Amino acid sequence: MPVDTRRVRGPEVSQSPLLFACKPAAVFSSHGPRADGRQRDQVDVRPVFVRCGLVSQAKGSAYMEAGDTKLMCCVYGPRETERKDDTDMKCGRLTTDMRFAPFSCPERGSWIQGSQDKDFSLMLHESLQPALCLHKYPRSQIEVNVMVLENSGSVLAHAVTCASLALADAGIEMYDLVLGCAIRQDGASYVVDPTYAEENGNGSDSSDNQGRLTLAFLPSLNQVSGLQSDGEMTEESLSAGVRTCIEGCYKIYPVIQQALAKAVRRAAPPPSES
Amino acid sequence: MAADMRLPNIRKLVSLSLSAGDRRDLVVPGDVITSDSGFMRGHGTYVDEEKLTASVAGEVQRVDKLICVRPLKTRFNGEVGDVVVGRITEVQQKRWKVETNSRLDSILLLSSVNLPGGELRRRSAEDELTMREYLLEGDLISAEVQSVFSDGALSLHTRSLKYGKLGQGVLVQISPSLIKRQKTHFHNLPCGASIILGNNGFVWLYPTPGQQDEEAGGFYTSLEPISLSDREVISRLRNCLLALSAHKVLVFDTSVLYCYESSLQHQVKDILKPEVMEEIVMLTQQKLIEQEG
Amino acid sequence: MATVQVSEAEKVYILHGIRDDLRVDGRGCEDYRHMEIETDVVSNTDGSAKVSLGHTAVLVGIKAEIGKPRPMAPNEGYLEFFVDCSANATPEFEGRGGEELGKELSNTLYKVFNNKHSVDLKKLCISKGEHCWVLYVDVLLLQCDGNLYDAMSVAIKAALFSTKIPKVHISNDEEGGKEIELSDDPFDCMRLDVENVPCIVTLCKVGHRHVVDATLQEKACSVASLIISVTHKGTVTCVRKMGGGSLDPESIFEMTETGKRVGKALHVPLMKLLQQEESLGTRQKVGFLG
Repeated sequence: MPVDTRRVRGPEVSQSPLLFACKPAAVFSSHGPRADGRQRDQVDVRPVFVRCGLVSQAKGSAYMEAGDTKLMCCVYGPRETERKDDTDMKCGRLTTDMRFAPFSCPERGSWIQGSQDKDFSLMLHESLQPALCLHKYPRSQIEVNVMVLENSGSVLAHAVTCASLALADAGIEMYDLVLGCAIRQDGASYVVDPTYAEENGNGSDSSDNQGRLTLAFLPSLNQVSGLQSDGEMTEESLSAGVRTCIEGCYKIYPVIQQALAKAVRRAAPPPSES
Repeated sequence: MAADMRLPNIRKLVSLSLSAGDRRDLVVPGDVITSDSGFMRGHGTYVDEEKLTASVAGEVQRVDKLICVRPLKTRFNGEVGDVVVGRITEVQQKRWKVETNSRLDSILLLSSVNLPGGELRRRSAEDELTMREYLLEGDLISAEVQSVFSDGALSLHTRSLKYGKLGQGVLVQISPSLIKRQKTHFHNLPCGASIILGNNGFVWLYPTPGQQDEEAGGFYTSLEPISLSDREVISRLRNCLLALSAHKVLVFDTSVLYCYESSLQHQVKDILKPEVMEEIVMLTQQKLIEQEG
Repeated sequence: MATVQVSEAEKVYILHGIRDDLRVDGRGCEDYRHMEIETDVVSNTDGSAKVSLGHTAVLVGIKAEIGKPRPMAPNEGYLEFFVDCSANATPEFEGRGGEELGKELSNTLYKVFNNKHSVDLKKLCISKGEHCWVLYVDVLLLQCDGNLYDAMSVAIKAALFSTKIPKVHISNDEEGGKEIELSDDPFDCMRLDVENVPCIVTLCKVGHRHVVDATLQEKACSVASLIISVTHKGTVTCVRKMGGGSLDPESIFEMTETGKRVGKALHVPLMKLLQQEESLGTRQKVGFLG
């Protein structure tokens, strides 16, 4: 079962009041403009705000805001690996951990990492690993921790972007930055960078073509490092979705580059006169 | 795209010789072999109340007064002179560890390999540093058992041009007891490929080399693409070997060749289907009996 | 994951073979190894299936239990997936070794079935908001020889096909409470419609091409693979990139296209076989001795 097996779960004593609301009318309508004024069927990502160097204790860190989705990421290491049993010592090890603050979603979550968080961590790991030059760090491990403060949709995509920014801030050698983008397919139309309501809403009931897609992309190498989808989609809309996400990644690329350049400038010592 | 789905069938072994049920020389642990005290106790037996008793399941073998039980399903018990195929698992100082399907990892000393170019000299400290250039973890080698240590670990050597690092080809693992001991375990089969039948049950299939490059001393591996026809022969041989091993037929050059010939009417990928496998092995056994008789 | 060592020269051999569309065991790039499927192999389950694909063997048991519907979907039952990687399959799974892989596999299964059409969950509802059927899908890996995902999804589909859920009747007693009565006739049962249950196709990128049903040796030569779950209509219910490498966007499009084609074709012999087994009636089961 997908829960923590080492603990006995008591009965759930409290429930979110949202359940008792008289049917929240489908917040997410499948026609017309989106709730936040963005355009559907267009690569209209939310404006992102990113900054490096938020946590001074960490080797590298980044904070990211996209609409109401807020998350932070810290990178520790590289340092000597803890697990000695790994036979392959020629490569460094990347560990990823992604958590949701209990108050990050409309319903309260628990502090124990659920299976969904673990799945996110795994996806994050697979998306980041191709971008890192892990062979430059033998016998060491690099830890990436992502904390979601506020979940307003497309968390995994933004977590990937934020984590790659933090890794770059930590001075880890990388082939390329990793950018994430998500779309929500709803029948014939799609929305890019969906909000929480758009992500989890039922959409137009009649259509079969309902799905979510998250993509991680290395922009200058033109490689896809992570791909995950669920729901039901035709193969054509899946391929179209991948293309759309790649376009979305290119949209946020300059913002991330700028934020990183700014962080580097700040860290650089003033040029000596001589 | 081909996907063959079916209901499972109860398998039976194809065997033309007398069925295993009639054989008196098969024992299980605890079976009394003899209560005659005139015999000597060999491997796979123990003496309980003056009765010679089997301690493994297998076949009783008697050499004069010595009684042994040879387990039919076993890891490889190497003897000096055996040809083995093995995989390097570790590079250590002055020696490589080799996985050869025996109980313990075998050892290949730096002093028991040919140096590139066939140079004959003492191994220097420099050679120790370049060991990884000769053989790396994961590499396959063919070698001969040089000696057996007291704990049963094998010491290998490759001091002959026929041994050394293996290049492109396919490894097939079968039970060591199915390999027939022969004068030579290296065969260039007339069907266009070569085979090394390691006594340890590792069988190496590779395209028959053209002109042997003697200068390399067994460390040069060609990474040139192999022709499609050679590949097909090798793949067919691989599947034939698996078919023979699934039906417990002794593997040696003739049986492999007969099996290859019997399989020619089928496509390579179909050989592993149970009914095709049965048919081919049946044909092979008939041919083998004809040849003997 | 169980891993094998492959030397550089062997890798080159496998790589070139795949380039020429002739794999080490004689298959083409889109061929499966032969698959054996048998349902109803464990008597204590409501539905079970054993699938072997080459040397990979997977056993799936399905138990139906009565539970409370999830608050968000009061008129639907639900499925729970659990994958156990026992140390029987490979010594690497000993202790907690198989846990991570098991988590990964079961999380993927949740994603694969996270849509409205795979299984008709409304049929699993007994009384709205109070009782529903919970199907526990337990997957046991018996042997690992590559391509776990595909074997597992076929086994799940076969097991769901054979699942017989007993009929229940709800009677209102005097005080207005509800009582659940289980039908005691073993033939009075509900079957699931498995037509829309997807099958997973794993595509391994090896060199410049991709192969289905990779063996462990081929897996060792591949940097990344894509798993695609496809229904009989060709709808994709889940896509996931696996492994430490990255993929070209172009090759992703090629792979999804292949995945859809192969996945769609996979359903035909499977359904035919399941129906054939059903029509054979009480056949002597081979079970685990095959």
